[in-house]
Amino acid sequence: MIRKYIALLRMKYVEMLAYRLATIVWMTGAIVQPLITMAVWMNIDPSQSDAFLFYFMAVIFVERMTSAWDVWELDREIREGTFSNYILRPLHPIHWAVAENIVYKVLFLVILAPVWAVAALFVPALRFDMTGGQTLLFLMALLLGAALRFLLSYICGLLGFWITKVTAVYGVLEVISLFLSGRIAPLSLLPPVLQQWSIFLPFRYMIGFPIDIITKAANSHDMLQGFAIASIWIVVFVIALRWIWKAGLKKNQAVGG
Amino acid sequence: MRRYVRIFREFFRACFVEELEYRSEFLGNLISSFFGIGIAVLTVNIFFYQTDQLGGWTYADVLVLLGVFNTLRGMIDFALRPNMPRLLEHVRRGTLDYILTKPVDSMFYVSFRHLVFWRLIDVLLGIGVIGYGLIKKHYIPSLVDVIVFIVTIAASFVLIYSLWMLLMTTSFWVIRIDDLSFIFDSFFETARFPVGMYRGWVRIVLTYVLPAAVITNMPALSLLGKWNMATALIAALLALVFLWLARRFWRFALRFYTSASS
Amino acid sequence: MIHVKHLHKSFRVHVRQTGWLEAIRSLLNREYRLVEAVKDISFTIEKGEIVGFLGPNGAGKTTTMKMLAGLLHPTSGEITVGGFVPFEQKTEFKKMMSLVMGQKSQLIWDIPPMETFLVNKAIYEIDDRTFQQTLDELVELLELAPLLDKPTRSLSLGQRMRCELAAALLHRPKVLFLDEPTIGLDVHTQEKVRRFIVDYNREHETTILLTSHYMGDVTALCDRVMIINHGTLIYDGELDVLTEKLAPYKRLEIRFANIPAVPWENYGEIVEIEDGKATLRVAREKVAEVSSHFLQHFHVHDINIQDPPMEEVITRAFQEGFNDS
Repeated sequence: MIRKYIALLRMKYVEMLAYRLATIVWMTGAIVQPLITMAVWMNIDPSQSDAFLFYFMAVIFVERMTSAWDVWELDREIREGTFSNYILRPLHPIHWAVAENIVYKVLFLVILAPVWAVAALFVPALRFDMTGGQTLLFLMALLLGAALRFLLSYICGLLGFWITKVTAVYGVLEVISLFLSGRIAPLSLLPPVLQQWSIFLPFRYMIGFPIDIITKAANSHDMLQGFAIASIWIVVFVIALRWIWKAGLKKNQAVGG
Repeated sequence: MRRYVRIFREFFRACFVEELEYRSEFLGNLISSFFGIGIAVLTVNIFFYQTDQLGGWTYADVLVLLGVFNTLRGMIDFALRPNMPRLLEHVRRGTLDYILTKPVDSMFYVSFRHLVFWRLIDVLLGIGVIGYGLIKKHYIPSLVDVIVFIVTIAASFVLIYSLWMLLMTTSFWVIRIDDLSFIFDSFFETARFPVGMYRGWVRIVLTYVLPAAVITNMPALSLLGKWNMATALIAALLALVFLWLARRFWRFALRFYTSASS
Repeated sequence: MIHVKHLHKSFRVHVRQTGWLEAIRSLLNREYRLVEAVKDISFTIEKGEIVGFLGPNGAGKTTTMKMLAGLLHPTSGEITVGGFVPFEQKTEFKKMMSLVMGQKSQLIWDIPPMETFLVNKAIYEIDDRTFQQTLDELVELLELAPLLDKPTRSLSLGQRMRCELAAALLHRPKVLFLDEPTIGLDVHTQEKVRRFIVDYNREHETTILLTSHYMGDVTALCDRVMIINHGTLIYDGELDVLTEKLAPYKRLEIRFANIPAVPWENYGEIVEIEDGKATLRVAREKVAEVSSHFLQHFHVHDINIQDPPMEEVITRAFQEGFNDS
């Protein structure tokens, strides 16, 4: 399995190099919306400007590190029938997607982390200090977030075996997540009803939760609860994914790809 | 001119018939339009949960602005978005040659050949939100307000068209610029909110360099009766200048294209 | 190697409604029609055979092939390929077969083919030595050396198909399914691909099943053909026998110094009579008799006896239908 992953990672790396321009364009585009939202919040409460700056920079970072685009890939591959190429080969297609995610997220990390470090030299608001334990917790939360978003995106993509507009379905989920993940506003600024919902739905754990750890907004009780709920969602998603995968294959074998 | 009105009507009809083929998508498009505006209003509500003004605009003002934004975006999605990215494809695949052989103005053809009707729903919803905002504000626009509004929103549309066209015409030289429309979208997003909300150099850039904010702020202010005849005229004039520039640039690019390709 | 018994495949197809009301109603209550793509097909293919699978568009060729490769689940009937039931999609099964579709590429578009090869090496768990050997052989046979490091998108259709074949053969499959491998290729490249398939089959005793529109592919590659139409297998046997059966006549071209005035229709069907040359379609068993008759009684410059072209035979077969007689 390790050898397979090495080969996949290598191939995805070469492929990423071929798309580097498009990748950078996408990355630039993805930071605009958080920046606008940040401007809104700074206008609403100027006294908290530094906190908002830090928060939304963290949103940009975490959002990139957990972003998932697999639903669009799967949608296209299933529609065009090229997904058969993966089914025919003796390796579960999900590994291709996992390898791709690893390559791109390492790329994002390699770009964003130094940018943050340099920016922190000039902008005091971006500096932070964390103990080793906190860093570890942050990284774990980040990994969980990336896994959750990836699984959700992949599950939606597999729905492409049944319905043609999966990207629209995923679009709706993304919009809901816009509110409940903490991208539109720090979760503590949301109306209490939405805050409550956000605790039990998976979206918060995709972006807001890791940020809460880094900004120290989460106390140990929040963290324990957060990791527990996020883990439950992971389990739910994995079970759903296995089931949908099997059913999808059957459906595909019945109607052809 | 009348000929072009007739041709545009023909494009309209052809696209309409084409879309009727996919009328099962009607419901989906309707839902997604309502969903989109609902979410936008919800976002504004979340902001106003913590404040009672945004860049000096009240809740009702921001709703009017949002309505203008949605209307303008509906117009763009209806006429511009289906066409602009296609120009890249035309140049890349050489299908532009077909268009150049047709006895129609080529810029007109590449700009308006494809229309997506569903997006007109967004225009209607945008107007609805404008109306709702005005009712909340208890303000009935005067006839002059409405005229200035129409002039400024038309100017905004022409300006966006011209800028996009200028950008796309560069594809004659730089063929590999994918995802340019994506960048355009990102900047258009800044037009969602009052420009007064932004600070420092960002405000200056969004006002004078990438007038993303002005294109929605001005029509909204007009409807709220806070227009300024001088700026409205300048906007209209600017739009015409850019349209002329886009036209000149297109002609220039075509001369380059026809002499360079074999 | 391949056993197929009473294979059926039917699809449910959504019946599209016209009109607003019907469209809305069909959202709730869809009407379906059953389309039988494959009806009761049985055949056996032995190890090392190359079999051509012929039929017009929509006849069921690709459906059958997809069932053999495990992409589709049969509605009823039995299939085994190399002892495996394809639709179970066992890893061992996937490792012993390969499917090449002329219109769907497994090569990754924006990077060189070599990268895809390396990925396949890992996925199929091919060890370094075998990989190198196989690759060298394929590079030589398919003349790939200059192509390996160019991005796939920059390759021509023919170059891409050659790389496609190599990618499919790296793990030395025992069974190879080729769906329209020469589609869209120029004559010269078609020839190259065909020669490669024949050589490869001889060398490795790979069982090959191939569908094609081009009669040339079939005549060049296959001793045995299966013909399918409207989902039913209408012929399975040797190509030569097919010709005899479908075309119980030959083409007779005779050149004379002076064309004689004889009742031509008594000898066979008239194709063309022109200055100094008569072309007839003559029943097989009468060919010898007719030609010796002309040779004896008239001054003949030249005589030429031919089988009718395969294209013509098959086209006739589909038009007129097959009789078991």
